[in-house]
Amino acid sequence: MNKKRTIIGGIVVVIALAAGYGWYQYNRTVQGLANVSADFTVNATDLIKEFVSSEDATNKKYLNKILSVKGIVKNVEAAQNTVVLGDTSDMSGVRCVLDSTANTTVGSLQKGALITIKGAITGFNKDETGLLGSDVQLNRCVIGN
Amino acid sequence: MSFLIKKGIISCCLILMAASLMAQDKFFTKSGNIQFSSKGAIETIEATHRSVTCVLDSKTGDIQFAVLMKGFEFKKALMQEHFNENYVESDKYPKAEFRGQIVNNSEVNYTKDGTYTVHIKGKLTLHGQTKDVEADGKITVKDGKLQAASKLKILMSDYDIDIPGTVAQNMSDTINISVSCTLEPLKQ
Repeated sequence: MNKKRTIIGGIVVVIALAAGYGWYQYNRTVQGLANVSADFTVNATDLIKEFVSSEDATNKKYLNKILSVKGIVKNVEAAQNTVVLGDTSDMSGVRCVLDSTANTTVGSLQKGALITIKGAITGFNKDETGLLGSDVQLNRCVIGN
Repeated sequence: MSFLIKKGIISCCLILMAASLMAQDKFFTKSGNIQFSSKGAIETIEATHRSVTCVLDSKTGDIQFAVLMKGFEFKKALMQEHFNENYVESDKYPKAEFRGQIVNNSEVNYTKDGTYTVHIKGKLTLHGQTKDVEADGKITVKDGKLQAASKLKILMSDYDIDIPGTVAQNMSDTINISVSCTLEPLKQ
């Protein structure tokens, strides 16, 4: 009798743990990057060059990784919470969408400032029109470090 | 002498005018917005993309969109992971593209402020599959910029996106897509 009770109790505990884990997974929000260390540290212009010279290999190297990108602020698009890093003489850039949940805003960022942005790389948008320049895109970005 | 200078000034003006006319042919953005949602029995799946590229040629009505699939942001992490890994397979198919045309482009006066209803036809490539797509949209011309907006529906099954049986009941095959972009003149 006692043994049966232990078994049933054990099963209940396992189900409760599984349900709890499921509930946690189901509600898990996308992680902020402020306290996550970057997998790679790169220069904005070097990163673009790497993608331009070999898109497939560079995708393999960086996709699903966290990048810390250093570069000159080329443009600030406050409406989209986006900072563009790169060379002003080039249409290409590294477009960083700031993490809206982490209270990061484009704030007082000035064009021409040298900054570092950490973010999750989402890929390389190769320009097929020949007009716009190709961009590396990052999201969930935080400024600094 | 003064005749030559006058002639020079006039030809300079003509060149500048021609250049400015040419420059206004094309409009673009790199920070367009796309949202999609799918209403299931239990919950609604929603995501937003804020780095959509769009180019519109006002002369021909040609319009193109490019979207990096990994750039869609979800509130729930698990949804974002499933979307990338199981549904759109963004490692294998990183980009979605639309190439099409504004069918009634002649009805849009790109130099006059106002709102114009447009009809767009084209091809959408997603998850390695290309399908014909049609949609209605609006173009609002204001201060030399264009505000473009459209809503359309696509079916996941059209793009070979399989939903496993266990979650199929919580997801609709229909995806509602809403596009909103502010296009600026492209300086060439």
